[in-house]
Amino acid sequence: MPNEQVKVPLFAAAEILTAANMNISAGTGVPVFTNSTTRDAAFGGAGEKVLAEGQLCYLSDSNIVQYYSGAAWATVGPTSSALTFIKSQAIVAGAVTFTMSNAFSATYENYLLTAANLVISGAGDQMRVTLNGTSGSTYQSSFININFSSATITGTVAALVSTGVSMGDQTAASTQISANFYSPFLTKASAINGQQSNTTGSRIFSGVDSNAASSTAFTITMATNTFTSGTFYLYGYSIT
Amino acid sequence: MTYKVQVDDILRDATAEETAAINAVKAQDKAETKAAADKASARQAVLDRLGITADEAALLLG
Repeated sequence: MPNEQVKVPLFAAAEILTAANMNISAGTGVPVFTNSTTRDAAFGGAGEKVLAEGQLCYLSDSNIVQYYSGAAWATVGPTSSALTFIKSQAIVAGAVTFTMSNAFSATYENYLLTAANLVISGAGDQMRVTLNGTSGSTYQSSFININFSSATITGTVAALVSTGVSMGDQTAASTQISANFYSPFLTKASAINGQQSNTTGSRIFSGVDSNAASSTAFTITMATNTFTSGTFYLYGYSIT
Repeated sequence: MTYKVQVDDILRDATAEETAAINAVKAQDKAETKAAADKASARQAVLDRLGITADEAALLLG
């Protein structure tokens, strides 16, 4: 017997409770509908329950459980996300480099790194990202700096061989960063791009690491200053 | 100079290999900063010879 039903019955006083009644209500636990159209039609009619807050249902066309808020249906689950939190790490003040180990794995191909309220010890710096701590001629990157107050654009717009992928010029002010890591764990060339911004301006950066070795970690190195505070968050992009 | 490095939640002294990598970053940053300054100086020298400002040069080239 299929679970899908077309009504949610309302029983009257002294009405005989039949096996069919039980199969359609208690038998399924949560009322099951083919889709949202049959769900909406199953309430409020003659002999049907009036839809009210807290009502649950299951929709078999989309395989989701929903609840009625009193104004609309909302999905309980299953939830699916294209972005999954992997790990976070708070800055310990005083370091020239920050390394997040066990960051990359076979579970994801691409990753998002974010940092809000990242503070460094001084201005005029530039952060460089490397994979698995390697540095040298396998990196190429470029960036532009956009200064809000002077409305000017500066930076290294031509590709350069670098000791890491540059994240652009840095100030001591609290900075927000988002960076995408492409295929760092795969045995292929990797790419890193993203942007950072604070109250003085924004930076857009992009680079590649032609080293095809698989990486499980990344390191961010300050050129002239040290990290003061902040937290890095790493997420994986779903591949399904 | 001994650098401090953070690996996950551990703050420690850099190894010799890490120190070399940090020094390489610092050297490259210094070279890039100098190159940018040299480029800016050269640009300003040309502007001075022409007797125009950077904004006026941008207008001419735009």
